Amino acid sequence: MSIFNDLMTHLHKCDIKLAASLPDDWVAPLIGKCEADDDIRHVPVAREAEAIAICSGAFFAGVNSVAIMGTTGLLTCTGELATLNLRHQVPVFIMASQRGSVDDHRVYQEVQGRRTLDVLKAYDFPYMVIDRPEELPRIPEAYEWGRLQKRPFVLLLTRRLLKGAPA
Amino acid sequence: MKAADAIAALLAHRTDEIAFCALGMAAGEWWRQSRSDADFYLHGAMGFSASMALGFALSLPQAKIWAINSDGSLCMNLGCLLTEVEQAPRNLKHFVLDNKVYETVGAVPMVNRGRTDYCALARAAGFASARSLQTVEEIDAVMPEIIAADGPCMTVLEVQSDGGAGQPEAMDYEGPEIKYRFGRSIEKRFGVSVFGKQGY
Repeated sequence: MSIFNDLMTHLHKCDIKLAASLPDDWVAPLIGKCEADDDIRHVPVAREAEAIAICSGAFFAGVNSVAIMGTTGLLTCTGELATLNLRHQVPVFIMASQRGSVDDHRVYQEVQGRRTLDVLKAYDFPYMVIDRPEELPRIPEAYEWGRLQKRPFVLLLTRRLLKGAPA
Repeated sequence: MKAADAIAALLAHRTDEIAFCALGMAAGEWWRQSRSDADFYLHGAMGFSASMALGFALSLPQAKIWAINSDGSLCMNLGCLLTEVEQAPRNLKHFVLDNKVYETVGAVPMVNRGRTDYCALARAAGFASARSLQTVEEIDAVMPEIIAADGPCMTVLEVQSDGGAGQPEAMDYEGPEIKYRFGRSIEKRFGVSVFGKQGY
């Protein structure tokens, strides 16, 4: 569980006070950490786009936030990300498990693995892939960079990071 | 009553509440009557102004928030009712303008053709307070109670369609400027930093 403790440490370095989430199994432990954290308001949602809008509302209160989901959920949010966050230039920071990668052999994740990065590029959403624990210190700088971009920023977390290398 | 009448009645009772308005008729009419740039008008993401209102309400508990929603938008994001109840924001009141049509695209009838009871949906989601109001007089009578009570609460405003003929006057500013005008008003009013030292 240490990787999830480390992720929480870096979320705190971003001064995250609100986390809105819908679980993918790879990030479920991170969501559990947010739920248990006294300094973060955790908001479970019924659809990932709710998390996007809740974080966008928190932005206007001056509160730093994160939306946590899987890539399947991320792909369901593209309309809202475009017409809320791009339209109004409201930044939102998203942490998503990068499903469908070469080491993810769940067949129902294969399209997400092939198309997600191309979708992000098509919308011109900045993103960063975090694959190793030593890359975690980049999270605070990525958070700030996403804010100044005034767009959705997607931090993709790999299987190797979240679940370790395959045996 | 017309939507314009219902919104006029809400505005007559407003003191320091902040409105998050759903795109289309709700946002257009609220702007036309209030000319307020201290409210947020969502120009996209149909259904999700209520979720923005929730995120704002949870993050700034000293503010009083009104979600000005519509039936079409609510149906795009019914899950927001579950989330709102679960979070139980005392400072959020949810209003739904129910005209049973998609007004701004020519009053095209909604899928439910007026058969759905949004108060019943809200109660089923867990709202302890949900009421339907038919007239301006009813709004005037219950608004003091709604304002005084803790949220969350649901108020459905039963309004007549304009038949798609009466498009609200277009706002004379849009997307990014809505963000900056609204955010600056929040900074000034509540002393919080929305945009930071470099203005983003």
